[in-house]
Amino acid sequence: MSLRLVAHRLLVFAVTLMGAVGLVLLLLWLAPGDPIDLLPNGEELRPVLTQQWELDRPLPVRFVSYFGRALHGDLGTSLAYRPGTPVADVIAGPAMRSMVWLLTALVLTMVWGTWLAWASAGRPSWHRKLVQVASIAPVFLLAHVSVNGIDVLTLSLVDRGIIPRPGWFPLPSEPGVFRTALAIVLLAVGSGALAEVRAEAENALVKIRGSGYIAAARARGERLWPHVAHNLVGPLTTVASSRAAFFVGGLVILEKVLLLNGIGSILWQAAVMRDYPLALGITVVLASIVCLSRLLGDTVRLAFDPRLRAQVGR
Amino acid sequence: MRRILSILALTSLLLGMSTVAWAIPLRYAEDRAPAIVNPLFTTTMSEARLDELVFDGLYTDDMELRSTPALVDTAEVAEDRMSTTLHLKPDVQWHDGEPFTADDVVFTIQAMQNPATASTEAGRVGWIKNAVKVDDHTVHLDFKRPEYAPEDKLHFKILPAHEFDSTTVKRSNAFRNKPVGTGPFQVVSFNDDNSITMQRNPNYFDPVKQDEIVMREVADKNYQAKLIIYQSIEALVRVLPRDLAALQADRKVEMYPYQTNSWWYIGFNNDGARLHDERVREALRDMVDVEALLKPIGTGEVVTGPFVPSSPFYNHDVPEQKVDIDKATSLLTAAGYYYDGRQWTKNGKPLTFRLAAPETLETAQDVVINLQAQFRKQGITVQPEFLGVAEWKQRVWRDHDFDLILSQWSFDRSEDIYEQFHSHGARNFVGYSNRKVDALLDEARNAVDPQKKKEALRQAHTLIAADVPMVFLWTLDSYAAMSVRVKQVVVHPFYFFTWAKDWYVY
Repeated sequence: MSLRLVAHRLLVFAVTLMGAVGLVLLLLWLAPGDPIDLLPNGEELRPVLTQQWELDRPLPVRFVSYFGRALHGDLGTSLAYRPGTPVADVIAGPAMRSMVWLLTALVLTMVWGTWLAWASAGRPSWHRKLVQVASIAPVFLLAHVSVNGIDVLTLSLVDRGIIPRPGWFPLPSEPGVFRTALAIVLLAVGSGALAEVRAEAENALVKIRGSGYIAAARARGERLWPHVAHNLVGPLTTVASSRAAFFVGGLVILEKVLLLNGIGSILWQAAVMRDYPLALGITVVLASIVCLSRLLGDTVRLAFDPRLRAQVGR
Repeated sequence: MRRILSILALTSLLLGMSTVAWAIPLRYAEDRAPAIVNPLFTTTMSEARLDELVFDGLYTDDMELRSTPALVDTAEVAEDRMSTTLHLKPDVQWHDGEPFTADDVVFTIQAMQNPATASTEAGRVGWIKNAVKVDDHTVHLDFKRPEYAPEDKLHFKILPAHEFDSTTVKRSNAFRNKPVGTGPFQVVSFNDDNSITMQRNPNYFDPVKQDEIVMREVADKNYQAKLIIYQSIEALVRVLPRDLAALQADRKVEMYPYQTNSWWYIGFNNDGARLHDERVREALRDMVDVEALLKPIGTGEVVTGPFVPSSPFYNHDVPEQKVDIDKATSLLTAAGYYYDGRQWTKNGKPLTFRLAAPETLETAQDVVINLQAQFRKQGITVQPEFLGVAEWKQRVWRDHDFDLILSQWSFDRSEDIYEQFHSHGARNFVGYSNRKVDALLDEARNAVDPQKKKEALRQAHTLIAADVPMVFLWTLDSYAAMSVRVKQVVVHPFYFFTWAKDWYVY
């Protein structure tokens, strides 16, 4: 990859990060109240804590100071969610979990969407419409309907003695495969993700199948799927990297609805509790995920498409 | 002979059962996991309840809610009631095996009083002038003014001095990761799902029956009742009124009613242009059908003043407020308002109020909707707003940016209403002011004789009710739900787990 492209991407990364952090800091500052308000004797402690927690500093100073520390790996200390705990410690475990769910959902969307496209490309299909309809629904609506539907159905089966009470019912508070799997599936399907991947893959497949190099390969008696797969990588990578931000947003909602202890649910709490360092730290992580996914997408496309390499090389 | 052997065997079994620890965990749900396990920085009830399991105070409540020694063995109060000498229980150990001594008591008081610690519990020791170690198991406390019952104020939790470098305790101190107390249970792990596992303290000075307790975070209140019905948890601290019927009907669940010192109210902004007029406040009060507001949300008792009916300070001579539309009409007319058949107006402007309610107050939405309907029927428009915690503090507490508020006050054993109703009270954001009430509240705070305190507060109740700074609504009946497998349950109305050492899951 050319140095110019890398430099460009890094610049975009830095600007995106600063923009996201600045926006979150501004929104939290504009929101009424502060973390001292959560304390029962907050007004008595305000003079001491305002100074300890640097709440008396002007916003631009806090912004610059935060970035200065973040560049040295110091994301600050939680003020209200886990008082006194370094932000990195608070979010490390949940961030890893969220990343796993996110990546799994992304892979599921790609595989599932591609398979559906393969099954129906260029032909009328009932599941095209079904996927489009199901995928339109926002993630929070899908989650609410799924959870309540499963609860009601299982409750009626248990009450009638048809099945014994399953271990996961009613989606209990401890971590479980069922809830996690449900979150991943809903993330893969919701907010247009699956429909977009399926549509993009179908368009690409129709073009690829009608292309000259496929006809030539068929004439030579070669297997077609390596050529199809190779040329499918580009369009799928484009849609995957463009969906990253939507996945991150969807995950925040799903973690709240399904009581999953990931980075998204902590972001929610941090905003409500005006825990500035924690909210900013999570913003840094999530913005980094989105930017890195774009960088990765560019890298993959360049690796698979020599025409792009030639263009970039010029 | 056979009968004697049977009796002996049964007796042994019963004795054994009383000392055996029960290995089935007792799981209970909280809306939010404790942010920090350190009694110096307690901000929420979930933290206070966990502190009850892990730490001890010098005194605690007995089942009649009277103060009884916990870490104290015996105590003497000076004749002038300006000091006390506490003899601590010997042979008490911290969870890490270190001995509990007078140093820990002195340290805790000094840490709480240290402004640099910024303790949320500093107010609990503001009345102590001096804490001095006499010997390893004796502490002498001097008070700032005479105290009739100092043991009632010595319930705050004691911390281990050996875990800290100085009396300036920071929230970031490593203690937060490994809290050490003397309580019946010790924290074993903070888990990835925000649950906290606690195990029986084998060195506790009283027998503890239950082996393990697990606090589970269940943020969705809708789920909490389901979890206990389907046996994913064994205890629910407070049941929502809408879940009462389902849980009462379930044979696997037992309900435990308890009364708290909390009451709901509709507060007026007494400094506001319109509500500064007492006639307007009285008219609004006379329009409110309190019983009709209470019925859809649960059961309880209507209150006429700033105490619950079971309180010794409650003045039962103050009559309950009844709806009186004719009187309300006369009052508003006298205040210069005109009723055009649909709406009350003044100078062409309709009478409209903004009503703020905290979004965290359960069932507030139902009350607000019904209240809105009641006022609309009488030609008054109410515009509700539901505020988050931080916004509530900003707008209501600091800016006084409201006309009406719907909220509740909760009090501990002291039922000290000074901050809410004294004109210098830090929580008197409705802007109430009455010099006679100020004098009575000052007298109650400084009273050494409990009878004089009772008389002063009962008088204050009468005056406050007459001034109508707010419409007093009700105290709600509270219910805890426990699995029938949990035995020997007695629930503390405020701290819930005060007597949990006797509970066990069978």
